[in-house]
Amino acid sequence: MDLKTLLQNKEFVLLDGAMGTLIQKSGARYDHSPETLNLTRPELIQSFHRAYIEAGADIVYTNTFGANAYKLAESGCSVEEVISAAVNNARAAAEGTDALVALDIGPVGMLLEPAGSLRFEEAYDYFKEQILAGSGADLIVFETMTDLLELKAAVLAAKENSGLPVLATMTFERNGRTFTGVSPAAAALTLSGLGVDAVGVNCSLGPDELEPVIAEMTRFTGLPLIVKANAGLPDPNSNEYSILPERFAECVLSLLPYGVKLVGGCCGTTPDYIREIARALSDRRCLPCPRTADTAVCSASTVVEINAPRIIGERINPTGKKRFQQALVDGNIDYLLGQALVQVQGGAELLDVNVGHPEIDEKKMMARAVKAIQSVCDAPLQIDSTKPDVLEVGLRCYNGKPIVNSVNGEEKSLASVLPLVKKYGASVVGLTLDENGIPKSAEERFAIAERIVRRAEALGIDRRDVYIDCLTLTVSAEQDACRETLSALRRVKNELGCKTVLGVSNISFGLPDRETVNRAFLTMALEDGLDLPIINPNIASMTNAVRAYRVLAGIDKNAADFIAANAAAADAAPAQEKKPAAAAQTDIFSAVYNGLKSEGAAAAERLLQTEDAMTIINEKLIPALDKVGEDFEKNKIFLPQLIQSANTAQACFDVIKAHLGKTGGENVSKGKIILATVKGDIHDIGKNIVKTLLDNYGYTVVDLGRDVDPRLVVETAVEQNITMVGLSALMTTTLKSMEDTIRLIRGTKELQNPDGSSRVTVFVGGAVLTKDYAMKIGADYYCRDAKESVDTAKRVLG
Amino acid sequence: MITLRRLNRDEAVRYLGGAGIALNEKMNRLLEDCERELLSVIDAKFLYRVIDLPFDAIVKGRDIRGHLGGCDRAAVMCATLGAAADRLLRVSQITDMSRAVVLDSLASAAVEQVCGEADALLAERFPGTFMTFRFSPGYGDYPLDMQRTILRLLDAPRKIGLTLNESLLLTPSKSVTAVIGLSDHPIPRGRRGCAVCSLRETCAYRRKGSHCGFENTASE
Repeated sequence: MDLKTLLQNKEFVLLDGAMGTLIQKSGARYDHSPETLNLTRPELIQSFHRAYIEAGADIVYTNTFGANAYKLAESGCSVEEVISAAVNNARAAAEGTDALVALDIGPVGMLLEPAGSLRFEEAYDYFKEQILAGSGADLIVFETMTDLLELKAAVLAAKENSGLPVLATMTFERNGRTFTGVSPAAAALTLSGLGVDAVGVNCSLGPDELEPVIAEMTRFTGLPLIVKANAGLPDPNSNEYSILPERFAECVLSLLPYGVKLVGGCCGTTPDYIREIARALSDRRCLPCPRTADTAVCSASTVVEINAPRIIGERINPTGKKRFQQALVDGNIDYLLGQALVQVQGGAELLDVNVGHPEIDEKKMMARAVKAIQSVCDAPLQIDSTKPDVLEVGLRCYNGKPIVNSVNGEEKSLASVLPLVKKYGASVVGLTLDENGIPKSAEERFAIAERIVRRAEALGIDRRDVYIDCLTLTVSAEQDACRETLSALRRVKNELGCKTVLGVSNISFGLPDRETVNRAFLTMALEDGLDLPIINPNIASMTNAVRAYRVLAGIDKNAADFIAANAAAADAAPAQEKKPAAAAQTDIFSAVYNGLKSEGAAAAERLLQTEDAMTIINEKLIPALDKVGEDFEKNKIFLPQLIQSANTAQACFDVIKAHLGKTGGENVSKGKIILATVKGDIHDIGKNIVKTLLDNYGYTVVDLGRDVDPRLVVETAVEQNITMVGLSALMTTTLKSMEDTIRLIRGTKELQNPDGSSRVTVFVGGAVLTKDYAMKIGADYYCRDAKESVDTAKRVLG
Repeated sequence: MITLRRLNRDEAVRYLGGAGIALNEKMNRLLEDCERELLSVIDAKFLYRVIDLPFDAIVKGRDIRGHLGGCDRAAVMCATLGAAADRLLRVSQITDMSRAVVLDSLASAAVEQVCGEADALLAERFPGTFMTFRFSPGYGDYPLDMQRTILRLLDAPRKIGLTLNESLLLTPSKSVTAVIGLSDHPIPRGRRGCAVCSLRETCAYRRKGSHCGFENTASE
């Protein structure tokens, strides 16, 4: 017997009930981990499995929920010995029956990045170790998961290290989300894509509260659903659970219309519950539930169903953008994050992410960008690169179901990209070009689209997950091209039943008033069936054209979204209009002192007409900042006010920089500084405050982020020839990393003078740090607060 | 589990280093906006569990022993504002640092309020019982790695999604773990304050002659 046969042959598959509850009731004693009972009390664990099998369970879960290297660390037992004993115990109990043994795996117990500090690959390794140790099981179960990315690491570890089938269940709270914010739809969509055999829910809620969760899941998957609920809530005094077996079974029955096929119990359930469920299900039929949602992509928290035109933001792309390219070279990830957030605010529902640049390691940057963007932004991403290995690192660490941009009709592309799309369960953009370039006619483009779809389907990719791009050509170069593109788009949409995508702004190159041309083309394409316009969502008229189309096409019922979006825009507008008028009266000094950003920028503009840039900086801006700093030190103003003033100064600097760009004056950066929160430390608001101020005072900050490996600090210093480094540590436990980092800096030849002395100035700060300690670990400066960091930078770099 | 309706702004202002600074209109508005935004994402949760003597599982070092002296029971507790609050703090650090600083201070005040609610519930459950103040890992010589024990005793990762990383930082970050002594007899009520604080040498509040809100170390 195997899982597949079981799923085919049986109307319902019965899982077991709680292991922990039985252990608790038995009063069996253990140190630290209940999983050690597999070794110390094998007969007891076997008796629990046996009781569940006798009650009707087709599958029993091994007693290995927390049997990972992290949680077993204090138990003195290895993962290998605990898990193999556990599998043996379940096997012994199942002997002579058809019951299957599932290797049970729960969360690692530490949170993954970005909320926590556990890296994706570290989580993967924990799971891999468990999976290898449990190879004697019949299937693998991941349960009680609250982080979709952790679950993805687990599923990949299973797929890459074992041939066993996989069940995956997550735990949802009463608000319909997991602790980390995962929605049931996102879980169903992502896990189906990753190729698990069944998905569902376990723990936390009782079966009486699960209907909304299950109903949402079933819309986004065709897989059989699993329900392994708690027996309600425990009474805080007696610890007895509130839902008794009969009622539990009744609730389970009410969930059957959603396609539930695998049923068991979690906390508080016992063999009695399983027996009752078996009885209740005996005369019922499973009601398979086909997926009803259209093709969709998601982040962990947000699902975007492509059942109406959806806007893909195009701005995270260095092509033709100097500042963006510089940000990539400097590793200035915050710049990308700013771009991401602004686009979402503008109305983007999906974001394209392209970080290709000849001077950087695109693979590393793609992984970093995907993780960082997902840490602040819920919009699903489109991973964009011409290189399959870059696509793969992005796909691997992506939390949710992304779009791959792109595959094309060329054999090399089909053969390398489509298998990745399948493996990671993504959607993909198919470009209608091949080794012969972009065909002129609609017919030829359609033929390529057909070829791409055929190849995708051969690999088991649903054609609804292939989004065809019929390619926008520049109308000023080839006037007929627009018609060909749209004609191909219509055919793809109608004859292939695929979704369509187009980069819109290409159309208008070389023409005046590009925005108008773009908007007209956008509207034409939408009417011809364009689903995914790739545009700059910060141009309100473009975004609004898509919204208006949704109204006119009857998609946006009662124009509710359109009205809401425009009301929000109207709210924001008056505030902006007011400012220039007020700015006329505000001089640059008081603008900076009072933290009035747009007034400051306007004042700088005015001054530049009569005064020299450096004079403004040295005689106006710096003195204003000095006054703010002085007041901050004297405890006259708050830190947020200091920051607002510094931000205003930054806005002034930006105006001046732009002006110098035009007139070709000297560079205004006062020097480069590396900032990092040390390895192990993830609380980095202090470092970010320092960064903001240094930025605003005219220094170029290379921010390496938090939890930074000492080697990365040194590599960056060497590569970019930077001789000033600021380190921050919040915890006594991470001061050691600070010391290690400084030692590595001092010991690096490339960062030394010919006489062996260090060329690098290190300044440090953080809540637990003292001046004495800072000196002891070899820092040059100890800075009590952000203001002192700026003073230090002035002293060292000028 | 609990809903905070207002946040303790005075406390947040103190965290901002503002004892004695006049709030101008702009700062007031900023505080107000940030409070509204934070309240909309806070998902406050706490857990506690009462354990009887002996306290071997949770005692490590001199200070916690002293803290629980004379108590016949102890409550271990944890509280968190949840993952969404952390996320708001992260996002604000990219979009507007001055806002981030205010949000961070308000969040610190908020988690303290959640702990206060937990205290109240405990007092309600054990009427007539005398309680010590909350003693957290990191105070005095009570080691940070006791957070691991406390979270395990409370099954906190599973029940409220509160976990610890390898550097002993709690995630979500705006969270607390603590031990409270319970006794049927009056106990000398020491208070949380600079005397047991491991940050006393570097504290920015002390430097300015102020305190973070728990300055009073005298017994009542």
